[in-house]
Amino acid sequence: MATEKLDLLILKTLDLGPLHGYGISRRIEQVSEGVFRVTLGALYPALQRLERAGAINAEWSVSENNRRARFYTITRTGRRRLTAEEQEWHRVADAMTRILQVEAE
Amino acid sequence: MTGLWRRCRELFQSQEVDRESVAELEQHIALAVDDKRRGGVPEQEARRQARLELGSVDAVREQLAEHRSGFVLEQLVKETAYAWRVLRRAPGPTALSVVTIGVGIAASTVLFAVIDGVVLRPLPYPEASQLVSIVDTNPELGVDRTGAASGNIDDWRRQTSRFEGIAGFYTMGRTLSAEDEADVVLTAQVSTDFFPLARVTPLLGRTFTEDETLAAQFDTANAPTGSNPVVIIGHELWRQRFGGDAGIVDRTVMLERRPFRVVGVMPAGFALPEAGVQAWMPWDLSGERPRDQHYLGAMGRLAAGASIAQAEDDLNRVAETLARDYPDTNRGWRVRLNPLATEVVGDTAGVLWMLFAAVGLVLLVACANVALLSVMRGLDRSVEHAVRLALGSTPGRLLRQSWIESLVLALVGGALGVGLALGGLRVIPRFVPDLPRLDEVALGARALWFAFGVTSLAALLSGVLPAWRGARTDSDPARGLRAASLRFTASAPQHRVRDALVIGQVALALVLLCGSGLLVRSFVALRSADPGFDPGGVLVAPIFLDAQAYGSGERARAYYDALFTQLEALPGVEAVGAATTLPTSPLGPDFARPVWPDGVVDERLRIPASVRMVTPGYFDTLRLEIAGGRAFDARDHPDAPPVVMVSETLAARLWPGQSAVGESLVVDYSTAGTYPYEVVGVVGDVRFRGPRSEPLAEIYLPHAQRSYLIMNVAIRGAGDPRALIPAVRSTLREVDPQKPAYGLTPLEDLVGATMVRDRQAMVTLLAFAVSAVFLAMLGVYGVLSARVRERHQEIGVRMALGADTSQLIGWVAASGMRLLASGAAIGLVATWPLTGLLSGLLFGVQPTDAVTAVSVVVLLGLVGITVTLVPSWRATRVDPVAVLRRG
Repeated sequence: MATEKLDLLILKTLDLGPLHGYGISRRIEQVSEGVFRVTLGALYPALQRLERAGAINAEWSVSENNRRARFYTITRTGRRRLTAEEQEWHRVADAMTRILQVEAE
Repeated sequence: MTGLWRRCRELFQSQEVDRESVAELEQHIALAVDDKRRGGVPEQEARRQARLELGSVDAVREQLAEHRSGFVLEQLVKETAYAWRVLRRAPGPTALSVVTIGVGIAASTVLFAVIDGVVLRPLPYPEASQLVSIVDTNPELGVDRTGAASGNIDDWRRQTSRFEGIAGFYTMGRTLSAEDEADVVLTAQVSTDFFPLARVTPLLGRTFTEDETLAAQFDTANAPTGSNPVVIIGHELWRQRFGGDAGIVDRTVMLERRPFRVVGVMPAGFALPEAGVQAWMPWDLSGERPRDQHYLGAMGRLAAGASIAQAEDDLNRVAETLARDYPDTNRGWRVRLNPLATEVVGDTAGVLWMLFAAVGLVLLVACANVALLSVMRGLDRSVEHAVRLALGSTPGRLLRQSWIESLVLALVGGALGVGLALGGLRVIPRFVPDLPRLDEVALGARALWFAFGVTSLAALLSGVLPAWRGARTDSDPARGLRAASLRFTASAPQHRVRDALVIGQVALALVLLCGSGLLVRSFVALRSADPGFDPGGVLVAPIFLDAQAYGSGERARAYYDALFTQLEALPGVEAVGAATTLPTSPLGPDFARPVWPDGVVDERLRIPASVRMVTPGYFDTLRLEIAGGRAFDARDHPDAPPVVMVSETLAARLWPGQSAVGESLVVDYSTAGTYPYEVVGVVGDVRFRGPRSEPLAEIYLPHAQRSYLIMNVAIRGAGDPRALIPAVRSTLREVDPQKPAYGLTPLEDLVGATMVRDRQAMVTLLAFAVSAVFLAMLGVYGVLSARVRERHQEIGVRMALGADTSQLIGWVAASGMRLLASGAAIGLVATWPLTGLLSGLLFGVQPTDAVTAVSVVVLLGLVGITVTLVPSWRATRVDPVAVLRRG
């Protein structure tokens, strides 16, 4: 998975509320109905990258089944980035769709 | 937590961040396991599945760590510490490498500091690059360079536009007395523009006013006249003679028995117009003055934006105008400009650059040695490398490790080098006390930067081969491990690398050896060259009589007569003579006047001849050859007809193929008149400015007929001329307490001074060559020893099969000789173009001198054979039984 796409997915997931790493990967898998599977090697470097960019914050807290976990929250910077990347994604996706339709005719 | 905060934590709490990552990753797995167990999977199986699906925690942890801020730095610190441990494990080779690099860096840093202080740095005056020296030249008369004429300087400064100022000066020793003590100090009388163009403010007081300069007249004997004379004194004189008294300004000192008021003190390091000048007097050069007496020093400051070439053209335009207006005195005279810095440093710059290049070669040899040690250590460590690769290290990391080791070696060596350089710079004045601008040589920031640069370069050079070698370790861990554990001998490429290094060392050493061999032969030739006079046993005493007390020829003659009588009576004195200036002596008036055979109108036969006023004893004292006629004697008294003696060179030019004795020679003596003299003798040629110089056209006039205030007295003693110094000193004091001894020097020292640069260059280059040879031989020795060690088994087997010792010795010696011969061959080829750089320094030897080349190769061969002996002997000591038993 290209890193920008993963970043977008993570930001979108966190936009709905704070989550820990496992939760993020579960949510992405569920919502995409198993199309996207996120491994440790992809997820955590992405989280590290986003945290360093100031797009998300991380804090230790207790999870639903009483385990200590690191919860990620989207920041204002993160939201701005999400909006921008979402728009960009739609633009690209629309264009792709149109091109594919033209070819199908 | 903002992103910035995260980065800071990564940098300063790296271990905690690392721990958190691990905890988080494990938590992730635990949550996944929880989910699976809730789905009914047993714990063991859930754990296994989670690990398989999610991947290795360790791999991700490393991935995260590598992207952390400061990771590279951390790794570097770790690897440096590791390198340090590795190096300390082999203290012998490490110490050898450090010392080798350290000495190399020290030598090059010292040389750089000297070059920087002497050649590169501008002179310590404001906008010093604008300062130029001006000399007169007259190609028509065959005069390459001489002083400016006092009558021209004022026109120069008024009619040029490319100069901010032009000043004339004249330096001479004068007696300075205060209370009962009299000393001779070097003084300069300087024209109006001098201090303004120097742009140096006095430490105390002020420079001269216009009125003071206008009032300062000097008579023909260059004694100051005029009322209320003033003087500026130098820092050194002020400190030593007046105890650094701040109240010196407006006090009176006696110069040549006349009171001078001190108006200023120049700061330390002010060495214009010449080094050593400690008193300056104003001098008015406006008004009518002779235009054909070329005895002045001249310097100028270029106008802003003007180049030297433009200024030279500008001044030559004025010279041409003057030649038209005053054809009798100025025809053919032009000027030449040189940067003042070049003038001050002189021929030293070339020698220094040559030595700098040489020390660079030594440093290369040193780096090759360190590289060699590393390569050999690398060989010992091929097992370690293979193991590290098998454990997941990358070839890139091994390469970096290898570099870091070289870097650590070079840094420690560099630190040692800077320490040694500090010590080296302290002793330099003792070895080259005559180096111009010596007081400006110091280990400053630039030299330290240079040392740092050289250190990095040394690390680069000594690290490149080992690193390249290390990286070539088989990258397939399994194969590498197998090969490393089986390996007893170096592989062919490893041999090639080592051999190439040693051959390169031998070649470089040979280049240096050839160069120093040439300088040695040149110096021997220089020493044995016949200068035309015999300086052995002669003491020189320069005497500066002042016009105030000795203005008339009568009184000067009386002084010298009394002096000679007393000196001749001293025990151990064999002969006494005097001349206005002695061969190789820097003091005393040395000027040329046009001469021609009487009755000849052909202008081409008007030759400028150097004029020397001499006493009859001069020829015997210096043991000059009388090639024809007679020397001066009592017949040539003041009232007798004027006589002259000529040098062989002059005689041959004016009267080729016939005797000059009895001919009549006209000397254009400017102010003193132009009339014929009878040639009574021909003097054998003298190499006046040292063995390198060509014989000059010279005329000798008897001091009795043309007395002169300044004379250099030569005293020939039976033994060491230095033994005469106390007696000569007290004799001088007896004859006139106000004319104390000054600059008493053996003539041999003065002759030696003309060769001092040759000697220093030779000794230094020889030292470099010896170091390079030593290092190269260390290399040869090391490689041969390693070869014997590696082939221990093979040698043992050979011996068991009946090889005798001579064969073994032959084998080792032959491989040693192959290295030496290849190195020597390459070195000889490389020397060919390089010796051309020395040609300016050589005397009586061609740069392509075959004798030097052959003897250097033979010498290197002999040393090389000696060096191969030890490894050869060691080869014969291999115990075949032990080798075979070990199998």
